[in-house]
Amino acid sequence: MTRGADPAPALRLRGVSKSFARGRDRVHAVRDVDLEIGEGEVVAVLGPNGAGKTTTLDMVLGLTEPSSGEIEVFGLAPRRAVDAGRISAVLQTGGLLRDLTVEETVRVIASTFETSQPVAEVMERAGISSLARRKVSKCSGGEQQRLRFALALLPDPDLLVLDEPTAGMDVAARRDFWATMHAEAAQGRTVVFATHYLEEANTFAERIVLLSEGSVVADDTTEAIRARATGRVVAADVDPAHDEELRSLPGVHSVARQGRRVTVLAADSDALARSILLDLGGHDLEITTGSLDEAFIALTSPRDQSTTKSAQGDPR
Amino acid sequence: MTLISPTFTRTELTRVVRDPVGLFFTAVLPAFFYVIFGATQDYKDAAAGNGNVAMWIMISMAAYGAVTATTAVGGLAAVEKMQGWGRQLGLTPMRDATFVASKATVALLIAAIPIALIYAIGVLTGASGTTTAWLLSAIVVLAGAVVFALFGLAIGLAFRSESAVGAASGMLVVFAFLGNVFVPLSGTMLDIARFTPLYGYVSLARRPLTEGYVLTQDGSAPQLEPLWISVTNLGVWAAVFALLAVLLVRRGRGRQ
Repeated sequence: MTRGADPAPALRLRGVSKSFARGRDRVHAVRDVDLEIGEGEVVAVLGPNGAGKTTTLDMVLGLTEPSSGEIEVFGLAPRRAVDAGRISAVLQTGGLLRDLTVEETVRVIASTFETSQPVAEVMERAGISSLARRKVSKCSGGEQQRLRFALALLPDPDLLVLDEPTAGMDVAARRDFWATMHAEAAQGRTVVFATHYLEEANTFAERIVLLSEGSVVADDTTEAIRARATGRVVAADVDPAHDEELRSLPGVHSVARQGRRVTVLAADSDALARSILLDLGGHDLEITTGSLDEAFIALTSPRDQSTTKSAQGDPR
Repeated sequence: MTLISPTFTRTELTRVVRDPVGLFFTAVLPAFFYVIFGATQDYKDAAAGNGNVAMWIMISMAAYGAVTATTAVGGLAAVEKMQGWGRQLGLTPMRDATFVASKATVALLIAAIPIALIYAIGVLTGASGTTTAWLLSAIVVLAGAVVFALFGLAIGLAFRSESAVGAASGMLVVFAFLGNVFVPLSGTMLDIARFTPLYGYVSLARRPLTEGYVLTQDGSAPQLEPLWISVTNLGVWAAVFALLAVLLVRRGRGRQ
């Protein structure tokens, strides 16, 4: 399968916001998101629950309209891209009629497209050929997800969107699902998936877009996200008198002390190291990369929550 | 794609046929009612308009079966659309109009099942009337039943659950008693009946047989009822259901 060169990016969001009324309040689910994803990229949209992942993907798929801003899928409005079969998705929940068989479900959805991939082939690729005659209600969560995946393959989309595709799967089913997905991505399909599993974003995506409270808080390669935010840990021998000064340095997330040795988690390890060595008289300095988990928590925790800064000082 | 999707419609029909409980309530039960309250009773051969009482009861029960069918199809369509299936269809080129047209086709075809079954039993058990009465009444029963797909739709949109749709079908039994469908009402009950949802529909369906005369149980002479009463009743209720459905769809959109 070869995918033609296209001047327009697979996905472009410009100043996209979405808010809706919930009771008396106005909920701002997505705030001013700019994003561009090129053809063939595999991108994870990572964020905690309620970060705006599903709302963003719903707008990309034309299921809801943005309150403001513009979305283009291969240069088309989302709804037109869906009609043209250029974008399709595996949705998080629901989506299936319990009383249909697996094969009936695939046939019904196939019939809505002007041209679709052969039903048998799609079921084979999704690994559900053996389940063809089974009722959807009798399929496990993982099997239903494979069925949704088969449905998503029907239009032979250039951009495949997956909204928390492995939620509710056990470890083995999750591994199988990603193996199938790797095969699809290897053919040059653009894949955008939402997840709150760091491990999935880390192992499958080349690029991570971090969402928090509806905004993009980081957008970079998986390595850069891990390195940047981050979660570098700087450890050095520093006089305890300088603890307050350390905490007030820009980008410092936490300061922990054990005897003479202080451990600092900070966004900009270079600047921090310079300050420690030149200004604070520190020595025996070490810099290590923090885990992706630490990066995730540091980046997605609400911005006004700076209490962690002073939480770990030694009371001596 | 065309307005009515053949594969979609065929699959929807398969789903209905595979559901024995649903079929029992839409087709078997009304047919059973006709046999019990019509075909096996002494009064069945008494004259009624262009035919006999058996025919009057036959039309009534066919109408009850038909609205049970359309209410269920309409209600389940709404519930499915709001649950995940609507999102899944939203990822296809299928338009809402196609969904509605296909579901309406399904509703009509399913409503035709009790009508065909009960009319067939009617032929075998001595229901009699003019050919025009047979044909016209069947057409009105079928066409008028579509209004109750809107009723089902509104209930489905309002309560968003399959059990609510079941309850809506159950409410039809009450409407049928109140609406002069099951037993001929008279006096105050008949006056009240004229305002209930099934009255206009069933009286229009019977009109080819009764020519507008209202059958009573107490042996008094049948009264001629003007056509506008039935037409207004059906028209107003159709408007009420449609308006409710539109308002509820808007409410659903606002929540997104």
